[in-house]
Amino acid sequence: MAASALLEPQLLRRLEGLAILVRRSVKGQMGGERRSLSRGRSPEFADFRSYSPGDDYRLIDWNAYARLDRYMLRLFVAEEELPLSLFVDLSGSMDWGRPNKAVTARRLAAAIAYVALASLDRVRLTVFADGPTSGGAPYRGRHAAQELLARIESFPAGGPTDYAKLVWPIGRQRPGMTVLITDGLGESRIEPAITSLKLARQEGAVLQLLAPQEVTPDWAGDARLKDAETGVEREFTATPATQAAYRAALARRTDEIEHAAIRRGLRFARLTTDQPIDDMVQRTLRRIGLLG
Amino acid sequence: MTFLAPAAAALAITLPAIIALYFLRIRRPTRVVPALHLWPDQIRDRQANVPWQRLRASWLLLLQLAVAAFLVAAAVQPAVPASASLAAHSIVLLDASASMQAKDVPPSRFDEAKRRAGALIDQLGPLDRMTLIAVGSTPRIVASTTGDHDAMHRALNGIAVTNGPADLSAALLLAAGIVRSQESARAYLFSDGIVEPLRASFANGLPFPVEYDRIGVSGENVALTSLVVRTSAQSRAAYLRVDNFGQQSRTVTVEWRSDAGLIDVRPVTLNGGQAQDVVLPVPDAATTVTARIDGGDNFALDDSVTAIARTARPFHVLLVTQGNVFLEQALRLRGDFQLDVVAPSAYHGSTAYAMTVFDRFPPPALPEAPFVMVDPPAGSALAGGAAVGVGRVRASDAGDPLLTNVSLQDVHVARSQDMTRSTFGRALITSLQTPLVLVRDEPFRQVLVGFDVHESDFPLRIGFPILVQNLSEWMLPPSVPSRSFHPDEAVTVVPETGATSVTVVRPDGSRRALAAGSIATFNDTDQVGVYTVEQTVAGTTDRSWFAVNLFSDAASQLTPVDHLTLPPEEATGPVAASHHGFLQIWPWIALLGLVLVVAEWLAFHRGL
Repeated sequence: MAASALLEPQLLRRLEGLAILVRRSVKGQMGGERRSLSRGRSPEFADFRSYSPGDDYRLIDWNAYARLDRYMLRLFVAEEELPLSLFVDLSGSMDWGRPNKAVTARRLAAAIAYVALASLDRVRLTVFADGPTSGGAPYRGRHAAQELLARIESFPAGGPTDYAKLVWPIGRQRPGMTVLITDGLGESRIEPAITSLKLARQEGAVLQLLAPQEVTPDWAGDARLKDAETGVEREFTATPATQAAYRAALARRTDEIEHAAIRRGLRFARLTTDQPIDDMVQRTLRRIGLLG
Repeated sequence: MTFLAPAAAALAITLPAIIALYFLRIRRPTRVVPALHLWPDQIRDRQANVPWQRLRASWLLLLQLAVAAFLVAAAVQPAVPASASLAAHSIVLLDASASMQAKDVPPSRFDEAKRRAGALIDQLGPLDRMTLIAVGSTPRIVASTTGDHDAMHRALNGIAVTNGPADLSAALLLAAGIVRSQESARAYLFSDGIVEPLRASFANGLPFPVEYDRIGVSGENVALTSLVVRTSAQSRAAYLRVDNFGQQSRTVTVEWRSDAGLIDVRPVTLNGGQAQDVVLPVPDAATTVTARIDGGDNFALDDSVTAIARTARPFHVLLVTQGNVFLEQALRLRGDFQLDVVAPSAYHGSTAYAMTVFDRFPPPALPEAPFVMVDPPAGSALAGGAAVGVGRVRASDAGDPLLTNVSLQDVHVARSQDMTRSTFGRALITSLQTPLVLVRDEPFRQVLVGFDVHESDFPLRIGFPILVQNLSEWMLPPSVPSRSFHPDEAVTVVPETGATSVTVVRPDGSRRALAAGSIATFNDTDQVGVYTVEQTVAGTTDRSWFAVNLFSDAASQLTPVDHLTLPPEEATGPVAASHHGFLQIWPWIALLGLVLVVAEWLAFHRGL
């Protein structure tokens, strides 16, 4: 078990009982605990096919040869790892709120990653702001959890969000599971990234993380608003009318993200940072079918 | 247009100040938000701070400027010229007499007079002063030489109409007394003109002109102007007089009640200007009787009258004489006297009598009570010197109320004891030779006559029974006079002997305590109706009554006087420099300003 400042030992123990759920078989590079699209070694019979030179003759079904008088190879379902890609938004807008969205995003990503590592799935970490930053070589196995969690913690938050720059790194993913953790509030549109998930045949999940203070602003009156990502400032007076206009704009933005995700067959959950991580994992992520 | 408070225009500095606040930028606290593009591009206003910014159009700015402009406009108190002509010192004479209760001008003449006086107050300029005098039976100053509109209105609202007459002469004298020399003053009389006749003391005029503002339009009124209960040997009856002071024929219903209940109801029809006497029965047990005519006319005060039906309590009087028909007959003229006549030999004291008359008889001891000693024998305590011949008889003081209606002309006295050295009291009737009749108040009201009435022709004169009546009434006044008084008329109450408390209960139930040890004058008779005098004597409460009724033809004659003859202005007085009054319009401007404040508040909360 890998204890970390991000996740408490008790939470880690509970996470070990969970697994990343996929709706279809995956094809990984190494053996794992999941049905693979490839036929491989496993107790579970899959099919027969004719022998071709070069095949492993150990797989010839001699009983079939006796009946059919030709070489048939027995094919078994290969149990392979699940490629899980975590894209964590650590832009300037995430470094905001009480509790801080970036901190919560790191903890949520760490929790999902730990679930995958405990299931011998392969985890690839990418953080992004104005561009993607790789979290290093894929991680696999429970022993890699400590390193992965330390790596997640090491990334600072800041800078603008550019979802367009996620299109390429997402698109080159092997089919698997991709989880995108973001607040979705950057000025650039998130639809290209979501579309690229679909095109990359990813079983994606979009987790929108918001702070309670941005859902319901807790201040009023005159202020100079400063954008957390761009640093742009603007004078503003928060009145009941203007606050209502803000809430309406926020609702439109989150609805757009949700509709875009659902329309493309992705899972979607809206989370707020005042939810405990345990609650997010055990209830919300299980509810949307990401964990089970 | 005139500005009553032009100095308040300095408040207009608020307008450029507001604009300056919008020119300047507010120092707003910086708040980091995750997505600025989600916040609407709206700021509330353009408040001031540094550095400067470009002025932008804003509904709030316009509304705030309008609010400030309206409030500044109200603060300078703009006023437009009004119709009234005012002097530097205005004196308002407000008639508060009974006739002002007439309702021919709704809601009443008095309310209309107050409304007009209030309008005059509103027209006062910033340097004008006003004095407010309520003209009643005793005029009084209710607001003295002030320019404070609020104080004047409060004082005006505090004036109540009375049931008494209007003594305009006293009010004018009062007003003349408060006008300073060479002061420009003008008086305004708000009245129906029904006032007491002016006295001749205004021959030199007044130091100010008087403008008469007539209140009232109609003189239609049916009134009860008299009610008297008379008791004869056979019966008791009430005599009621009903007057129609109006021009139109009226039929009224007279409701006749005693304190025991309804006695009679009868209709009375009167032509315009006609009066009618109505005789009504009075039950034996009645204490009070009341006549009332059905309402419906403009003046209710004279529609109900009350009289005391109970006969006065009799006085026991003793006459000690060997025979004096003149004195006996004169004393018997008093209906409330129960006279006992005894010979000197039968006299054993007079403690049971309220008054004793000693005719040529010296009692062993003089009673400590009212008495009349006639021709005391020589050697007795009150006897004078040797008899002297008397010449012309005259009054010591011709204005003495004890000699009212007593003529001493052609009165002759043959001789009298010489009372020159008597220390009995003051002389009432005297001669060159000696005082003839002496009176004293202490220790009791007592009379000493120095001559035998048989040696004078005075008993043959009409003045003799009148003198006896005057003296007996002076010595034995009724404790409470049971006749009717006018409003605000003083009533003399003589406490019963041994009374420990005297209280007057007014028609409205309020009580006034009087001094029990001496004769008291009761002045709180402003209400009409029955007053009850309660005296506690030896632990028991003794009640007596008197009534207060309007009974004033002058007040009931409601026709307002078109042209009231008023004293002229002094020829040598200052020329009343008059100016037009002001009609202040600032309250309306302030109201508009407040409406704009509400609009600004709404605009602010709607984020305009």
